[in-house]
Amino acid sequence: MRSGTVIWRRMKPLLLARELSYGSAHAPRLDHVDLELEAGDRLALLGVNGAGKSTLMQVLAGVLAPHSGEVRIFGQRIDQAGPGLRRHIGFLPQPFPAYAELTASENLEWAGRLHGLRGGRLQSAIKRVLHDLELDDVAARLAGRLSTGMTQRLGLAQAVLHEPEILILDEPTAGLDPLQTEQIRELLGGLSASRSLILATHLLDDVQRLCDRVILLDSGRKTAEHAVTAETDLLAHFRRRQDAAEASR
Amino acid sequence: MIGDIALHEWRRQRVGMLFWLLLGFGQLIIAWLFFAQLQRFADLVPQLKASGSTLGAMDLVIAPTFNSLVLLLLLGAPLLAMGSLAGEVRSGRIALWLSAPVSGHQIVLGKSLGLWLGILPLVVSATLTLASLGLGTALDWPRFALALGGLLLFSLWLGCVALLISGLFDHPAAALAASYGVLLFLWLLDSFSSPDAPWYWFALLPHIKPWFQGLLRSQDIAFFVGTGPAALMATTFLIARRRGEV
Repeated sequence: MRSGTVIWRRMKPLLLARELSYGSAHAPRLDHVDLELEAGDRLALLGVNGAGKSTLMQVLAGVLAPHSGEVRIFGQRIDQAGPGLRRHIGFLPQPFPAYAELTASENLEWAGRLHGLRGGRLQSAIKRVLHDLELDDVAARLAGRLSTGMTQRLGLAQAVLHEPEILILDEPTAGLDPLQTEQIRELLGGLSASRSLILATHLLDDVQRLCDRVILLDSGRKTAEHAVTAETDLLAHFRRRQDAAEASR
Repeated sequence: MIGDIALHEWRRQRVGMLFWLLLGFGQLIIAWLFFAQLQRFADLVPQLKASGSTLGAMDLVIAPTFNSLVLLLLLGAPLLAMGSLAGEVRSGRIALWLSAPVSGHQIVLGKSLGLWLGILPLVVSATLTLASLGLGTALDWPRFALALGGLLLFSLWLGCVALLISGLFDHPAAALAASYGVLLFLWLLDSFSSPDAPWYWFALLPHIKPWFQGLLRSQDIAFFVGTGPAALMATTFLIARRRGEV
């Protein structure tokens, strides 16, 4: 747990979410969730299926509008500042919905154009991410014919193509076999080194390997926030939280 | 950005089977109807000459075939449009669109133009087929151009309306069914309502046929120029509502 109070802040956080709620009052998918992301932070959202991780990711990425609360990026409200603010975000939904009828590089070209890249800048960005994500060999292959692991890499490639400051990744290792999971984790480690990262996952290994802070979500509520260190026993903490939740029911 | 989105939509359609099936099937029907009308016209020419009628190929071949093309477009455009927004929602790709730095009106204008680009090849191929008649007989080219102008305006309008209906649903099949329902209702509206009824203005055929008859009327232009952009604005509102901007 972060201790102490911030007395003075030199700069605005990259991303600030306040009192986010989504869904009906009797069955909220998000219930007054706060979070803050600063430059270089690598934040995990951990929770079981249905905890509200994907909803929170979509609200943070500006895909869903919260029913109450606000999301600010560089101090500006995402729902009021105009679409240009979204340029700072790279988003990977789960599962990544590629255009199956287009090739991997055509999918990237579309993503780049959508984020304002053109001409030589677009081509060099595509070349760079194809290389970084080890997709060179499948660049000309239809996205519909890629394996799950390759499709996930393609999703990561489109998320980092325009070099956003904030990466919002929803379960990037979901549905992958152990080898693919390991490869994606290695790639993510490299990609997130120079960016701020919000990663939704239900895998403790993802949190331990990739993040330095974790928020636990349960039934749409933020139940705890921790720094992640080698000694952090997330599983024990998770069990305690679940036991407490069940006892309170 | 609008042009990029339009070209992306056009590329998606071009690599799909549906576009080519619609184009091939549509052109086949048009060619068949064209030759059938031509045969009838050839049979009627002696009688027309004898009676001193002013009816020509424009009235007896071109206009009826353009009428059939309108119906073909009404049947084909919803098939192309159903995936434009409902398909994006269904596949989950809408998340990528909405998280991108693109405004709602750019998405809507780009997608409607892309849809128009997908409809256009059938209009062009049918027009070239009909224009080939000019090689054998004298055609009223200004009237032909007016009919083509009406068709182009109608196809653009059709793209706008079909996109709006696609934006109302989360499933392409529902969007398709609703598009057919709305468009065929508008197509038939004049046949079961009186010209004095206030809703008669929304009937489609009375706004299309005059173009083929060589009439350029302000009320027809007003219909397409009024309702098409209104559909685009409504679709932009739907996108803004999804994003929580309104």
